[in-house]
Amino acid sequence: MFDNNVFIKGTCHNFKTADEVKGFELQTNITYYRGIPLSMVHDFNVWVDGVKVDPDQLQFSVDGKEWFTKDELTTVSDIKWEYGEPATIRVNVDGGLSGKHRIKLNIVTVTAYIPVPLSGFKEYEVDFSK
Amino acid sequence: MSDIKTSVSLYSLQYEYLTKRMSLKDILKYMHDLHVDGVEVLPDQMIHGAPEPSEETLKNWHDWIKEYNLDLSCIDVFLNTDLYKNRTLTLKEDIKLMKKEIDDANKLGYKTVRMISMTPPEVVPYVLPYAEKLGITLTLELHAGLSWGVPATEKYLKMMKEIDSPYLGITVDTGIFCRRIPRVMSEYWKKVTGVSQETIDWCNSFFDRGEDVARYGFNPTSEFKAGEKKYGKTPADKMYITYAQGYENKPLSIMDDYLKYIKHFHFKLYEMTDKGEEYSINYHEIMDYLHEKGYKGYVSTEYEGNRFVLPGHPMIEKEQVKAHVEMMRKEIARVEAK
Repeated sequence: MFDNNVFIKGTCHNFKTADEVKGFELQTNITYYRGIPLSMVHDFNVWVDGVKVDPDQLQFSVDGKEWFTKDELTTVSDIKWEYGEPATIRVNVDGGLSGKHRIKLNIVTVTAYIPVPLSGFKEYEVDFSK
Repeated sequence: MSDIKTSVSLYSLQYEYLTKRMSLKDILKYMHDLHVDGVEVLPDQMIHGAPEPSEETLKNWHDWIKEYNLDLSCIDVFLNTDLYKNRTLTLKEDIKLMKKEIDDANKLGYKTVRMISMTPPEVVPYVLPYAEKLGITLTLELHAGLSWGVPATEKYLKMMKEIDSPYLGITVDTGIFCRRIPRVMSEYWKKVTGVSQETIDWCNSFFDRGEDVARYGFNPTSEFKAGEKKYGKTPADKMYITYAQGYENKPLSIMDDYLKYIKHFHFKLYEMTDKGEEYSINYHEIMDYLHEKGYKGYVSTEYEGNRFVLPGHPMIEKEQVKAHVEMMRKEIARVEAK
């Protein structure tokens, strides 16, 4: 459910901090039909060529300014992930990636009245040399 | 204007909005072009910053509603009782959040609030006087899978009858009156997740004999449990059986004792067929019932087939909504000519 919302095509690329490539990032819409506070985003996961990235390397942001780890998200109840506004997920890995890789993303949100979490997956092949 | 008025929930155009093909303004203009009487909105979906939108957001909203000459039918609010992972919100926290939602409804100009199914009924006595002062009616949504017979919903209905305020009622979602499971839903699950036809057929067989899967979800019989085991072999099959409980097959007469409390309808739409009918729900039957019972209010299109558009296929929200609104208008004219 909501797989079509996950991982916006063409948004995955390496990012730089102070002129150094510090990893790669990608954008996604919410796996739900409305905006919710970030504390209700219960999980997000990234795979590179089928291998799951260590959660400690992941960060999440809705404005590109304030970044949160998976654990930190659980207390962020004042910032909302708006429906229709993509969030960015960063994978912190020195030097980023090069060449072609299959990148998969999973987003899991919860809501009070649906008994199962709202989880979505999407995988694309990304050419990091571009 | 007719006693029964047309409305569209902007939920129906959520993918047009998500993909930025249409802005909120574009969608409101489309509503104007369709000549609907009212519009329904989910503030968490299309009103940025809700339940505390900026002055600019509010100004734009009112300007556009005026520009496109639209009435406001109902606002759909949620209560994030699971805001935190490690605990459920307390009653005081619930009350505070619900008052914010009522304030938001008031600022946006709405007089009818739809509270999401499973909103804790304990909240209501604390927020109802607040809503009444603003002239706002609170309604709990009776949605398929969470409607009559579900303990939390029954608790609300009992309380609603006891309080018996003209400002307290229900919104009925016609997904309760599915005579068969939406085929777009089954096709999606089959093609995208690999649900077996056997599992789909098993779930459909309940409807064939005038039942539904939902009634067994909360009260499983041993026979149902055995069926779940037999037809829920893969995670996808299991999930399909869970989601099939989101469609109920109840008689319209279930509303007989609640007519005075029904303030709003979600006219659910999964698939408009080439014949101009909804595949799962018999709106002919529903409109006859509403006319006969003298319902006065909105019937609001809520398209949900958008979730089941197969990958690589075009989104057809605008077309489906248009066809449904045209069908509603025809049905209203038909019953009013009686």
